[in-house]
Amino acid sequence: MPRLQWTRASSAALLALLGALSLTACSDDDDDKKPDAGSQPVDAGTTDAGTDAGTDAGPPVDTGIPWDGGSAGDFSCQGKATATLTFAPGQEQEIQNQVNTLAECTTIQLAAGTFTFKNAITIRQNGITIKGAGKGVKGEGTGTASSTVLVFTTAAANSNGLDVVGKRFEVSDLAVWNAKKDAVRVESSVDVVMRRVRTEWAEADKESNGKYGLYPVKSKYVVIDECEAYNAADAGIYVGQTEYAIVRNSVALQNVAGIEIENTKYAYVIGNTARDNTTGLVVFDLPGNPIKGTDIRVVNNIITDNNRNNFASVAASSSTVSQVPAGTGTFILASRRVELTGNTWENNNSLDVAVLSGLIIEQDPAQWVAGGLNFASADINIHDNVFKGGSGDNVDNGKLDAQRRPLGALVATLYTFGETQGTRQVEHLVWDGVDPFGHPRTDVNPINICFTKNTLPAGTTTAIVDLDLLAAGTAVTGGDLAGGWAKTRHYAATGTAFDCAGFSPALTIGDNIK
Amino acid sequence: MRTSFVNPRLSVVLLALVLAACGSSDPENPGSPPDSGTPVTDAGPEDAGVPDAGPVDAGVLDAGTPDAGPVTVIPNTLSGFGLFTGTPADGGLVPVEGNVPYTLSTALFSDYAVKSRTLYIPPGGVAHYQPKDALDLPVGTLITKTFAFPADLRKPDQDVRLIETRVLVRQPTGWQAWPYVWNAAQTEADQVAGGDSTTVAFIDLEGKSRSFEYSVPSKNQCLICHHLQDEAGVQVMHPIGVKARYLHHPNTYGGVERDQLEYLASLGKLDGLPPAAELPKAPDAFDPSASDLSTRARTYLDINCAHCHNPKGTAGITSRLFLNIDNADLFTLGECKRPGSAGSGVGGTFDIVPGNHAESILWYRMHTEESGKMMPQIGRVVHHAEGSKLIADWIDSLPPKTCK
Repeated sequence: MPRLQWTRASSAALLALLGALSLTACSDDDDDKKPDAGSQPVDAGTTDAGTDAGTDAGPPVDTGIPWDGGSAGDFSCQGKATATLTFAPGQEQEIQNQVNTLAECTTIQLAAGTFTFKNAITIRQNGITIKGAGKGVKGEGTGTASSTVLVFTTAAANSNGLDVVGKRFEVSDLAVWNAKKDAVRVESSVDVVMRRVRTEWAEADKESNGKYGLYPVKSKYVVIDECEAYNAADAGIYVGQTEYAIVRNSVALQNVAGIEIENTKYAYVIGNTARDNTTGLVVFDLPGNPIKGTDIRVVNNIITDNNRNNFASVAASSSTVSQVPAGTGTFILASRRVELTGNTWENNNSLDVAVLSGLIIEQDPAQWVAGGLNFASADINIHDNVFKGGSGDNVDNGKLDAQRRPLGALVATLYTFGETQGTRQVEHLVWDGVDPFGHPRTDVNPINICFTKNTLPAGTTTAIVDLDLLAAGTAVTGGDLAGGWAKTRHYAATGTAFDCAGFSPALTIGDNIK
Repeated sequence: MRTSFVNPRLSVVLLALVLAACGSSDPENPGSPPDSGTPVTDAGPEDAGVPDAGPVDAGVLDAGTPDAGPVTVIPNTLSGFGLFTGTPADGGLVPVEGNVPYTLSTALFSDYAVKSRTLYIPPGGVAHYQPKDALDLPVGTLITKTFAFPADLRKPDQDVRLIETRVLVRQPTGWQAWPYVWNAAQTEADQVAGGDSTTVAFIDLEGKSRSFEYSVPSKNQCLICHHLQDEAGVQVMHPIGVKARYLHHPNTYGGVERDQLEYLASLGKLDGLPPAAELPKAPDAFDPSASDLSTRARTYLDINCAHCHNPKGTAGITSRLFLNIDNADLFTLGECKRPGSAGSGVGGTFDIVPGNHAESILWYRMHTEESGKMMPQIGRVVHHAEGSKLIADWIDSLPPKTCK
C-alpha cells in the first residue's frame, strides 16, 4: 500500500479552489410521523405469495420473496395461458419480431451461444421471462456451450441492451455485452427478477462505456440475485426510485460505483462483493426525486480495494458518482434508517464509510422539495462489521482535483495537516458534521449515527471523525489549515456518543427471507 | 449533481442568519425518526400549462371500455392497408382518395430523411379539433409516415430510396404503431415488428458524401416517443405531429392551395374547427420571416423534444425539463437548471446557460453524435446542423446570466 505523503499535496493550489458552503434553509426534521418499517400493507390483489422462483420449471412467477409477510404485485400468470418461444443464435431478427408482439406470460428461451443485436431488445408486456443457458464468466464476449451472450457492440447508438416495461419480468442465465447505454434497464415495473445475469463492457476504464449494468428504476419488488456487473461508467448494480428491493450474492467489479441504492425505500443488500470500483457500495438520495429513501439494510457484504481511478470524472460532468474520490468504500448521503452489519471493509484508499448530508451536493433546499426535503442523513447503525485496515491513507489515490472531486480534495487537505499532528489515516467512519443543519456543536451525535461492536485493526486509536465540514472548510478556504484541522473531532470506537443502540423501530426488511 | 465546495459565494454571516432563523434541528430528540416517505409534491409552476389536460386520454386503454369501432387487422405488407396505389419502383406511391397527404410546418429531425405523411379517417369517422393536443381521431384512423433518402439532398425529388413506412393505427383499445420496411426492389414494404437496420448513403446539402447505419425502430420502441403517462403512470400511446398548430398552413390538393385544417373540415373529417383567426400556428422554425428567433427555437424544441420532455412524458417527469411550447417557467425550461442525471462529459453543468450555448447541456446533447450523450434518444445518428445552430443562436440571444 503506497502511502500518501500528505505534505506533498499542493495545499496552496487546493485552497485557491476550495470554496465553502452556503446553506440557506432549514430542514423539516421535526415532523413526528412514524417511519414505515417495511411492513405496511402493500398492493392488494391476488398473488402467489411465497412461490419459489428458484425453480426453473413452469410459468413465470413472482419474485418469490414474502416481502412483508406475503404480498407482491398485482399481476400473476397463474391460471393464464403461457407459451415458450425458443431461439438459437442466428435468429436475432426473429427474436426482435417476436418480442415486439409477445402475448403476456411468454417465456423466451435462448440457446447457448452468441446472439448479436443491432438494436435494443424492447419489451412492453407483462409476465415475460427471458432465459439463457448461463451467464458465462468475466471477460467472455462470446457464448460457449454453457453460456448465452447477447452482444450489442454494433447496436444503434443510444440503445440499451434489454429495455423492459412490464409486470412480473424475469431475466436469468445470460450475459449482456457492450450495451450502448444500460445493459438491463427495467423501468416502471412490478415484480422484477434478475438472476444469474452478467453485464459487462469489454474495456475497463472507459467513460464511453454504457452507464449502468443492472438498472431497475421506478419499480416495486425487485430481486437481483447472483448477478455480476463489470466496467460500467456509472453503476454496475443500481436500484433506483424503487420500493422493496433485494440485491443478493452478486459481484460488482471495475465500475465507477459498484452497487448503488438510490432514492429507494426498503432495500436488503446482502452477501455481495464490491471490489476494485471507484466506490464500492453506496446509498443515497438525489434531489428532485419524489421517493425519499429509507430503511436500507446492508448485510454481510465485502467492500474492499475500491481504488479504481474515477473514469467518469471528466470535464463537464454532472453525475454524482463522477464527483466521488477513488478509494471510497461506502458513502451514505441524504439517507436515513440505514443499517450496516456483518460487512467487511479493507484497503479503500480514501475511507471505508462516510455519512454525508445531501446539502454537500445540492445546497439549495428547494431542489429537495420533491422528496420532502430529504437532504439530511439520520439514523445510521453501523454494528458488528469488520474493518481490516489499509484504508484512508491515500485519499483519491493522491490524484486530487478540487474542481471535479472537491470533497476528496478537502479531506486530503485536512489530513495533510493532520498527519503533521500524528493522525496517519482517515478514520473508518467519517461524518461530515453537517446534519441537522446548524446543530449546536455541543451535540456530539445529533443525527444518531451508531458505531458499535465493530472489529478494528490492531493499534486503532481513533475510529470516528466528525469533520465539521462547514467550519473546517471555511477555515481551510481562508488558508487556515491548523484552524480547519482543529475543528475536526476524532473519537475512539467505544465510550463516546456514537456508542449507541441504533434506532427504533428496527429494520425488518429481509426478516422473511430465508 | 456537483458538489458545492467550489462555489465561491460563502458567507459566514449567511450561515449565522440561517442558524438563528432555523432552530429546527431538535437537539433534544436526535433519534427522531425521519418521515419515511410522504413525498411532498411540488405544486409549483412546472405543472402549469400541462399540455394534455384531459380529453386525449378519455376512453383510451386505461378506461377499460373500448371505443366503438372495428379492430383494424394488421396486414403483413403495407399494400394490405390499401392506402396507396403504385410503388416507388413504378413512379411513386400515390395516396388513395380519403388518404390525405399533409405536412408539418416544423418537423422532427430524423437524420435528414425526407418524410411524407398521410392521414386516413375511415368513412363515417370524424376527428375532433383540439387547440393544443393532437387531434382527437376516431377508431379506424391510419396515420402513415414514410422515410426516404434521395441520393443527393440538394435534389430531394430524384433517385429517392424509400426505407420505411410507419403506420399508427387507432384501434378500439387505443393507438398502435407498426413498422414496415421497404424491399430493395422498392415494390413492397413488409411488416417488421422487430425493426431493422440498413446502411444509408447520400450527398448532403454541402455536397459531401455521407453514409451511416440507419435504424428502423421496433414496434415497442415507437412507444419511447409516442407516449404520455396516464394517471396510473402507465404509458399510453399517442400521435405527436397531428396538432392544429403544425397543420394550420397551406398544402396543395387537386392543384388547389388549401389550408390543411380547413381542407379536412371541408371533407367532413374534422369538426369543431374554430375560425381561422383563432387557430394556433407554429411557424417554420427555419424561416426567419415566419417568426422571431425565440418562437422558432421554441417551436423546434417543441416538435423535436417535447414528446418526452413534457410533464406527462416519462423522460420529462424524470428530468423535470419541460420543452413543450406552452411551458412559460424558465427554470423547467432549463435556465440555470442542473440536470437530473445527464451523466458525464455533457458540455456543462446546467441545461441552459443563458447567453452561452457552448456551456449549455441542452445544446450539447442535441449537437453531439456520441452515443449515450446525444438527444433525442432514438431516431438520430447524425446531427442536425441547422437545428443545432438555431438553438445555439437562441441561447446566445438570451440575456446572459451566471448560473449558480
